[in-house]
Amino acid sequence: MSGPHFAAFSFVDRITAFEPARRARAVFAVPAAIERFPACLVAEAVGQLAAWVAMEAIAFRGRPVAALANETRFHAAVRPGELLELAVEIEQCDDEAVAYAGTARVGGRLVIELVDCLGPMLPVADFDDPAALADRLALLRGAGAAPRRFGGVAPARVEPIAGEPGAAWLHVPASAPFFADHFPRRPVFPATLMLDALIGHALSIAAPGHVPASLTHVKVRSFTEPGARLRIEALAAADDPTRIALTVRGAERTVATARLRTRPETAA
Amino acid sequence: MTTPITKDEIAAVFPTVAETMADALGCDVEDIKLDVSLIEGLDAESIDFLDMVFRLERAFKIKIPRGKIVENARGALSEAEFESGGVVTDAGMAQLRAYLSEIPAERFKTPMKAKDIPRLFTPETFCKLVITAQREAA
Repeated sequence: MSGPHFAAFSFVDRITAFEPARRARAVFAVPAAIERFPACLVAEAVGQLAAWVAMEAIAFRGRPVAALANETRFHAAVRPGELLELAVEIEQCDDEAVAYAGTARVGGRLVIELVDCLGPMLPVADFDDPAALADRLALLRGAGAAPRRFGGVAPARVEPIAGEPGAAWLHVPASAPFFADHFPRRPVFPATLMLDALIGHALSIAAPGHVPASLTHVKVRSFTEPGARLRIEALAAADDPTRIALTVRGAERTVATARLRTRPETAA
Repeated sequence: MTTPITKDEIAAVFPTVAETMADALGCDVEDIKLDVSLIEGLDAESIDFLDMVFRLERAFKIKIPRGKIVENARGALSEAEFESGGVVTDAGMAQLRAYLSEIPAERFKTPMKAKDIPRLFTPETFCKLVITAQREAA
Protein backbone atom coordinates (compact mmCIF):
# COMPACT_ATOMS: atom_id res chain seq x y z
CA MET A 1 0.00 0.00 0.00
CA SER A 2 1.85 3.06 -1.14
CA GLY A 3 1.32 6.21 -3.10
CA PRO A 4 1.06 9.89 -2.45
CA HIS A 5 -1.90 11.54 -0.86
CA PHE A 6 -4.35 13.28 -3.21
CA ALA A 7 -3.12 11.49 -6.33
CA ALA A 8 -4.09 7.85 -6.73
CA PHE A 9 -7.79 8.41 -6.06
CA SER A 10 -8.40 12.15 -6.22
CA PHE A 11 -10.54 13.48 -9.05
CA VAL A 12 -10.73 17.22 -8.56
CA ASP A 13 -7.88 19.30 -10.03
CA ARG A 14 -9.18 22.80 -9.54
CA ILE A 15 -12.33 24.33 -8.08
CA THR A 16 -13.50 27.12 -10.35
CA ALA A 17 -16.52 28.29 -8.35
CA PHE A 18 -17.29 27.75 -4.68
CA GLU A 19 -20.33 28.94 -2.76
CA PRO A 20 -19.90 27.64 0.78
CA ALA A 21 -22.38 24.93 1.78
CA ARG A 22 -24.34 25.48 -1.44
CA ARG A 23 -22.63 24.66 -4.72
CA ALA A 24 -19.33 24.33 -6.54
CA ARG A 25 -17.82 23.80 -9.95
CA ALA A 26 -14.50 22.17 -10.72
CA VAL A 27 -12.44 20.52 -13.42
CA PHE A 28 -10.51 17.29 -13.62
CA ALA A 29 -8.22 16.39 -16.50
CA VAL A 30 -8.48 12.68 -17.21
CA PRO A 31 -4.90 11.64 -18.02
CA ALA A 32 -4.47 10.60 -21.65
CA ALA A 33 -2.06 7.85 -20.67
CA ILE A 34 -4.51 5.70 -18.73
CA GLU A 35 -6.42 2.83 -20.32
CA ARG A 36 -9.93 3.65 -19.18
CA PHE A 37 -11.88 6.05 -17.03
CA PRO A 38 -15.08 4.22 -16.14
CA ALA A 39 -18.37 5.98 -15.53
CA CYS A 40 -18.21 5.10 -11.84
CA LEU A 41 -15.05 7.21 -11.52
CA VAL A 42 -16.85 10.10 -13.18
CA ALA A 43 -19.50 9.69 -10.47
CA GLU A 44 -16.69 9.51 -7.90
CA ALA A 45 -15.36 12.85 -9.17
CA VAL A 46 -18.77 14.47 -8.70
CA GLY A 47 -19.05 12.92 -5.23
CA GLN A 48 -15.59 14.16 -4.27
CA LEU A 49 -16.49 17.72 -5.25
CA ALA A 50 -19.61 17.45 -3.08
CA ALA A 51 -17.44 16.10 -0.26
CA TRP A 52 -15.16 19.15 -0.43
CA VAL A 53 -18.13 21.50 -0.09
CA ALA A 54 -19.61 19.40 2.69
CA MET A 55 -16.40 19.10 4.69
CA GLU A 56 -15.77 22.83 4.47
CA ALA A 57 -19.34 23.51 5.57
CA ILE A 58 -18.78 21.71 8.86
CA ALA A 59 -15.19 22.90 9.39
CA PHE A 60 -13.69 19.49 8.57
CA ARG A 61 -15.24 17.81 11.61
CA GLY A 62 -16.68 15.09 9.42
CA ARG A 63 -16.35 13.67 5.98
CA PRO A 64 -19.15 12.14 3.94
CA VAL A 65 -18.88 8.55 2.80
CA ALA A 66 -20.65 6.95 -0.13
CA ALA A 67 -23.92 5.48 1.07
CA LEU A 68 -27.03 6.40 -0.89
CA ALA A 69 -27.33 7.40 -4.53
CA ASN A 70 -30.90 7.31 -5.62
CA GLU A 71 -30.17 7.70 -9.30
CA THR A 72 -27.10 8.01 -11.49
CA ARG A 73 -27.82 8.56 -15.18
CA PHE A 74 -25.12 7.57 -17.64
CA HIS A 75 -25.27 9.68 -20.79
CA ALA A 76 -21.92 9.17 -22.48
CA ALA A 77 -18.55 7.56 -21.91
CA VAL A 78 -15.54 9.63 -20.91
CA ARG A 79 -12.29 8.96 -22.69
CA PRO A 80 -8.74 9.39 -21.41
CA GLY A 81 -7.45 12.84 -22.26
CA GLU A 82 -10.81 14.57 -21.83
CA LEU A 83 -11.50 17.37 -19.34
CA LEU A 84 -14.32 16.76 -16.89
CA GLU A 85 -16.40 19.77 -15.88
CA LEU A 86 -17.96 19.00 -12.52
CA ALA A 87 -20.85 20.74 -10.78
CA VAL A 88 -22.63 20.00 -7.51
CA GLU A 89 -25.62 21.45 -5.72
CA ILE A 90 -25.79 20.82 -1.99
CA GLU A 91 -29.37 20.37 -0.86
CA GLN A 92 -28.72 19.86 2.82
CA CYS A 93 -25.58 19.60 4.88
CA ASP A 94 -24.94 19.20 8.59
CA ASP A 95 -22.81 17.10 10.91
CA GLU A 96 -24.91 14.04 10.19
CA ALA A 97 -25.15 13.93 6.40
CA VAL A 98 -24.89 15.77 3.12
CA ALA A 99 -27.58 15.55 0.46
CA TYR A 100 -26.56 16.62 -3.01
CA ALA A 101 -27.02 16.37 -6.75
CA GLY A 102 -24.41 16.86 -9.43
CA THR A 103 -23.33 16.56 -13.02
CA ALA A 104 -20.23 16.00 -15.10
CA ARG A 105 -19.81 17.35 -18.61
CA VAL A 106 -17.15 17.12 -21.27
CA GLY A 107 -16.95 20.10 -23.59
CA GLY A 108 -20.37 21.17 -22.33
CA ARG A 109 -21.91 17.78 -23.17
CA LEU A 110 -23.60 16.05 -20.23
CA VAL A 111 -21.93 12.71 -19.47
CA ILE A 112 -23.35 11.82 -16.06
CA GLU A 113 -26.02 13.04 -13.64
CA LEU A 114 -26.31 12.21 -9.95
CA VAL A 115 -29.73 12.76 -8.40
CA ASP A 116 -30.70 12.54 -4.74
CA CYS A 117 -27.43 11.40 -3.22
CA LEU A 118 -26.89 11.21 0.52
CA GLY A 119 -23.62 10.68 2.31
CA PRO A 120 -23.53 10.20 6.08
CA MET A 121 -20.78 12.15 7.81
CA LEU A 122 -18.20 10.26 9.82
CA PRO A 123 -15.44 11.77 11.99
CA VAL A 124 -12.90 13.05 9.52
CA ALA A 125 -9.94 12.33 11.79
CA ASP A 126 -10.70 8.60 11.56
CA PHE A 127 -9.86 8.73 7.87
CA ASP A 128 -7.54 11.61 7.16
CA ASP A 129 -5.67 14.55 8.61
CA PRO A 130 -8.20 17.41 8.87
CA ALA A 131 -5.45 20.03 8.47
CA ALA A 132 -4.15 18.33 5.31
CA LEU A 133 -7.66 18.33 3.89
CA ALA A 134 -8.16 22.02 4.67
CA ASP A 135 -4.82 22.83 3.02
CA ARG A 136 -5.77 20.75 0.02
CA LEU A 137 -9.09 22.55 -0.39
CA ALA A 138 -7.28 25.89 -0.27
CA LEU A 139 -5.00 24.66 -3.04
CA LEU A 140 -7.89 23.40 -5.15
CA ARG A 141 -9.72 26.71 -4.73
CA GLY A 142 -6.56 28.63 -5.62
CA ALA A 143 -4.00 27.63 -8.20
CA GLY A 144 -5.28 24.08 -8.37
CA ALA A 145 -3.42 20.80 -8.06
CA ALA A 146 -1.00 19.50 -10.61
CA PRO A 147 -3.16 17.71 -13.20
CA ARG A 148 -2.74 14.18 -14.52
CA ARG A 149 -1.53 12.67 -11.25
CA PHE A 150 -4.01 9.81 -11.53
CA GLY A 151 -2.30 6.73 -12.86
CA GLY A 152 -5.36 4.64 -13.59
CA VAL A 153 -6.80 1.79 -11.60
CA ALA A 154 -6.94 -1.85 -12.53
CA PRO A 155 -10.47 -3.36 -12.38
CA ALA A 156 -10.97 -5.63 -9.40
CA ARG A 157 -10.86 -9.32 -10.30
CA VAL A 158 -14.28 -10.91 -10.77
CA GLU A 159 -14.50 -14.71 -10.79
CA PRO A 160 -17.78 -16.28 -11.91
CA ILE A 161 -19.12 -18.96 -9.56
CA ALA A 162 -19.59 -22.21 -11.43
CA GLY A 163 -23.18 -23.42 -11.52
CA GLU A 164 -24.61 -20.16 -10.24
CA PRO A 165 -25.60 -17.95 -13.14
CA GLY A 166 -25.29 -14.27 -12.26
CA ALA A 167 -23.12 -14.92 -9.19
CA ALA A 168 -19.41 -14.22 -8.90
CA TRP A 169 -16.65 -13.52 -6.43
CA LEU A 170 -15.22 -10.03 -6.35
CA HIS A 171 -11.65 -10.15 -5.13
CA VAL A 172 -10.71 -6.84 -3.55
CA PRO A 173 -6.97 -6.25 -3.84
CA ALA A 174 -5.03 -6.47 -0.61
CA SER A 175 -2.93 -3.52 -1.66
CA ALA A 176 -3.23 -0.86 -4.33
CA PRO A 177 -2.08 2.74 -4.71
CA PHE A 178 -5.63 4.05 -4.24
CA PHE A 179 -5.76 2.77 -0.66
CA ALA A 180 -3.18 5.44 0.28
CA ASP A 181 -5.67 8.07 -0.83
CA HIS A 182 -8.89 6.37 0.17
CA PHE A 183 -8.19 6.82 3.00
CA PRO A 184 -4.77 7.60 4.50
CA ARG A 185 -5.76 6.62 8.04
CA ARG A 186 -8.17 3.88 7.13
CA PRO A 187 -7.93 2.11 3.79
CA VAL A 188 -11.36 1.33 2.38
CA PHE A 189 -12.22 -0.19 -0.99
CA PRO A 190 -13.97 2.67 -2.83
CA ALA A 191 -17.67 1.98 -3.31
CA THR A 192 -17.42 3.37 -6.84
CA LEU A 193 -14.84 0.74 -7.75
CA MET A 194 -17.12 -1.91 -6.28
CA LEU A 195 -19.98 -0.56 -8.39
CA ASP A 196 -17.73 -0.54 -11.46
CA ALA A 197 -17.00 -4.23 -10.95
CA LEU A 198 -20.67 -4.89 -10.26
CA ILE A 199 -21.81 -3.14 -13.44
CA GLY A 200 -19.17 -4.97 -15.47
CA HIS A 201 -20.42 -8.25 -14.07
CA ALA A 202 -24.07 -7.31 -14.69
CA LEU A 203 -23.36 -6.51 -18.33
CA SER A 204 -22.19 -10.10 -18.74
CA ILE A 205 -25.79 -11.20 -18.24
CA ALA A 206 -27.38 -8.23 -20.03
CA ALA A 207 -28.55 -8.29 -23.62
CA PRO A 208 -25.65 -8.17 -26.10
CA GLY A 209 -24.69 -4.62 -27.05
CA HIS A 210 -26.37 -3.10 -24.02
CA VAL A 211 -24.66 -0.44 -21.93
CA PRO A 212 -25.60 1.07 -18.54
CA ALA A 213 -28.40 3.64 -18.76
CA SER A 214 -28.84 4.32 -15.07
CA LEU A 215 -27.99 2.97 -11.66
CA THR A 216 -30.64 3.51 -9.03
CA HIS A 217 -31.25 2.70 -5.37
CA VAL A 218 -27.54 2.43 -4.61
CA LYS A 219 -27.16 1.70 -0.94
CA VAL A 220 -23.76 0.94 0.57
CA ARG A 221 -24.19 -0.55 4.03
CA SER A 222 -20.67 -1.14 5.20
CA PHE A 223 -17.03 -0.58 4.45
CA THR A 224 -15.00 -3.13 2.53
CA GLU A 225 -11.47 -3.72 3.75
CA PRO A 226 -8.48 -4.43 1.50
CA GLY A 227 -8.20 -8.10 0.60
CA ALA A 228 -11.88 -8.87 1.15
CA ARG A 229 -13.74 -11.41 -0.96
CA LEU A 230 -17.29 -10.38 -1.81
CA ARG A 231 -20.05 -12.35 -3.42
CA ILE A 232 -21.76 -10.33 -6.14
CA GLU A 233 -25.07 -11.21 -7.70
CA ALA A 234 -26.82 -9.85 -10.79
CA LEU A 235 -30.40 -10.86 -11.38
CA ALA A 236 -32.35 -9.65 -14.42
CA ALA A 237 -36.08 -9.07 -14.00
CA ALA A 238 -38.05 -11.89 -15.59
CA ASP A 239 -40.35 -9.50 -17.42
CA ASP A 240 -37.73 -6.93 -18.39
CA PRO A 241 -34.10 -7.99 -18.94
CA THR A 242 -32.98 -4.35 -19.03
CA ARG A 243 -33.63 -4.15 -15.28
CA ILE A 244 -30.96 -5.94 -13.25
CA ALA A 245 -30.92 -6.17 -9.44
CA LEU A 246 -27.42 -6.07 -7.99
CA THR A 247 -26.32 -7.33 -4.59
CA VAL A 248 -22.94 -7.46 -2.89
CA ARG A 249 -22.59 -9.74 0.10
CA GLY A 250 -19.76 -10.00 2.59
CA ALA A 251 -19.08 -12.93 4.86
CA GLU A 252 -21.82 -11.96 7.29
CA ARG A 253 -24.01 -9.31 5.79
CA THR A 254 -25.18 -7.49 2.70
CA VAL A 255 -22.59 -4.87 1.80
CA ALA A 256 -24.42 -3.04 -0.97
CA THR A 257 -27.45 -3.15 -3.24
CA ALA A 258 -28.34 -1.32 -6.43
CA ARG A 259 -30.52 -1.57 -9.50
CA LEU A 260 -29.09 -1.24 -13.01
CA ARG A 261 -31.03 -0.35 -16.10
CA THR A 262 -29.41 -0.99 -19.48
CA ARG A 263 -30.11 0.27 -22.99
CA PRO A 264 -28.83 -0.53 -26.46
CA GLU A 265 -25.56 1.27 -27.03
CA THR A 266 -26.90 3.39 -29.88
CA ALA A 267 -29.90 4.73 -27.92
CA ALA A 268 -27.99 7.42 -25.99
CA MET B 1 -50.44 21.32 24.13
CA THR B 2 -49.91 19.29 20.99
CA THR B 3 -53.05 18.01 19.29
CA PRO B 4 -52.98 14.20 19.30
CA ILE B 5 -52.47 12.57 15.94
CA THR B 6 -55.63 10.79 14.81
CA LYS B 7 -56.03 7.43 13.12
CA ASP B 8 -57.54 9.21 10.12
CA GLU B 9 -54.42 11.34 9.74
CA ILE B 10 -52.28 8.21 9.88
CA ALA B 11 -54.49 6.41 7.38
CA ALA B 12 -54.17 9.36 5.00
CA VAL B 13 -50.37 9.29 4.85
CA PHE B 14 -49.79 5.55 5.31
CA PRO B 15 -50.11 4.45 1.63
CA THR B 16 -47.35 6.85 0.55
CA VAL B 17 -45.25 6.04 3.62
CA ALA B 18 -45.58 2.31 2.90
CA GLU B 19 -44.67 2.74 -0.75
CA THR B 20 -41.67 4.91 0.16
CA MET B 21 -40.48 2.43 2.78
CA ALA B 22 -40.87 -0.53 0.46
CA ASP B 23 -38.78 1.30 -2.12
CA ALA B 24 -36.09 2.06 0.45
CA LEU B 25 -36.03 -1.44 1.91
CA GLY B 26 -36.41 -3.29 -1.39
CA CYS B 27 -39.41 -5.25 -0.14
CA ASP B 28 -43.01 -5.58 -1.28
CA VAL B 29 -45.36 -2.84 -0.18
CA GLU B 30 -47.59 -5.56 1.31
CA ASP B 31 -44.80 -6.29 3.81
CA ILE B 32 -45.11 -2.80 5.26
CA LYS B 33 -47.70 -3.13 8.01
CA LEU B 34 -48.38 -0.23 10.34
CA ASP B 35 -47.13 -2.12 13.38
CA VAL B 36 -44.21 -4.16 12.09
CA SER B 37 -40.85 -3.48 13.76
CA LEU B 38 -38.63 -1.99 11.10
CA ILE B 39 -35.46 -3.48 12.56
CA GLU B 40 -36.66 -6.82 13.83
CA GLY B 41 -39.39 -7.41 11.26
CA LEU B 42 -37.93 -5.87 8.12
CA ASP B 43 -34.18 -6.03 8.82
CA ALA B 44 -33.78 -2.26 8.53
CA GLU B 45 -30.39 -0.83 9.51
CA SER B 46 -29.35 2.71 10.40
CA ILE B 47 -28.62 3.50 6.75
CA ASP B 48 -32.20 2.46 5.91
CA PHE B 49 -33.56 4.95 8.44
CA LEU B 50 -31.51 7.69 6.79
CA ASP B 51 -32.77 6.53 3.39
CA MET B 52 -36.41 6.42 4.52
CA VAL B 53 -36.31 9.90 6.02
CA PHE B 54 -34.61 11.20 2.85
CA ARG B 55 -37.28 9.62 0.64
CA LEU B 56 -40.17 10.74 2.86
CA GLU B 57 -38.88 14.32 2.66
CA ARG B 58 -39.12 14.14 -1.10
CA ALA B 59 -42.39 12.23 -1.25
CA PHE B 60 -44.20 14.65 1.07
CA LYS B 61 -42.15 17.77 0.25
CA ILE B 62 -41.34 18.27 3.92
CA LYS B 63 -38.18 18.75 5.94
CA ILE B 64 -37.39 16.28 8.67
CA PRO B 65 -34.31 17.45 10.57
CA ARG B 66 -31.89 14.65 11.43
CA GLY B 67 -32.58 13.35 14.91
CA LYS B 68 -36.12 14.70 14.74
CA ILE B 69 -37.68 11.33 15.44
CA VAL B 70 -35.94 10.99 18.81
CA GLU B 71 -36.55 14.67 19.54
CA ASN B 72 -40.27 14.14 18.94
CA ALA B 73 -40.23 11.06 21.12
CA ARG B 74 -38.59 13.06 23.91
CA GLY B 75 -41.46 15.56 23.87
CA ALA B 76 -41.12 18.33 26.44
CA LEU B 77 -38.37 16.56 28.38
CA SER B 78 -34.82 17.84 28.19
CA GLU B 79 -32.12 15.45 27.06
CA ALA B 80 -30.92 15.11 30.66
CA GLU B 81 -34.46 14.35 31.86
CA PHE B 82 -34.96 11.82 29.06
CA GLU B 83 -31.79 9.82 29.39
CA SER B 84 -28.94 9.40 31.82
CA GLY B 85 -25.69 7.66 30.99
CA GLY B 86 -27.18 6.36 27.75
CA VAL B 87 -30.15 4.80 29.53
CA VAL B 88 -33.69 6.13 29.22
CA THR B 89 -34.93 7.46 32.59
CA ASP B 90 -38.29 6.51 34.16
CA ALA B 91 -39.72 9.84 33.01
CA GLY B 92 -38.25 9.18 29.58
CA MET B 93 -39.85 5.73 29.43
CA ALA B 94 -43.24 7.21 30.32
CA GLN B 95 -42.83 9.83 27.60
CA LEU B 96 -41.67 7.19 25.10
CA ARG B 97 -44.67 4.96 25.84
CA ALA B 98 -46.98 7.91 25.34
CA TYR B 99 -45.36 9.00 22.07
CA LEU B 100 -45.08 5.46 20.69
CA SER B 101 -48.57 4.54 21.89
CA GLU B 102 -49.05 2.22 18.92
CA ILE B 103 -46.33 -0.11 20.15
CA PRO B 104 -47.33 -2.97 22.47
CA ALA B 105 -46.22 -2.48 26.08
CA GLU B 106 -44.17 -5.69 26.13
CA ARG B 107 -41.77 -4.25 23.56
CA PHE B 108 -40.62 -1.54 25.97
CA LYS B 109 -37.80 -3.35 27.73
CA THR B 110 -36.30 -1.74 30.84
CA PRO B 111 -33.67 -0.61 31.30
CA MET B 112 -33.67 0.67 27.73
CA LYS B 113 -30.57 2.14 26.17
CA ALA B 114 -31.23 5.31 24.20
CA LYS B 115 -29.44 3.84 21.20
CA ASP B 116 -31.96 0.98 21.15
CA ILE B 117 -34.98 3.27 20.78
CA PRO B 118 -35.02 2.82 16.97
CA ARG B 119 -35.66 -0.89 17.56
CA LEU B 120 -39.16 0.14 18.60
CA PHE B 121 -39.92 2.10 15.44
CA THR B 122 -42.65 0.97 13.09
CA PRO B 123 -44.10 2.46 9.91
CA GLU B 124 -46.67 4.16 12.15
CA THR B 125 -43.82 5.98 13.90
CA PHE B 126 -42.80 7.39 10.54
CA CYS B 127 -46.40 8.30 9.70
CA LYS B 128 -46.42 10.39 12.88
CA LEU B 129 -43.12 11.95 11.93
CA VAL B 130 -44.55 12.98 8.56
CA ILE B 131 -47.75 14.34 10.10
CA THR B 132 -45.80 16.35 12.68
CA ALA B 133 -43.59 17.81 9.94
CA GLN B 134 -46.66 18.65 7.84
CA ARG B 135 -48.29 20.39 10.81
CA GLU B 136 -45.13 22.37 11.54
CA ALA B 137 -44.94 23.47 7.90
CA ALA B 138 -48.60 24.51 7.77
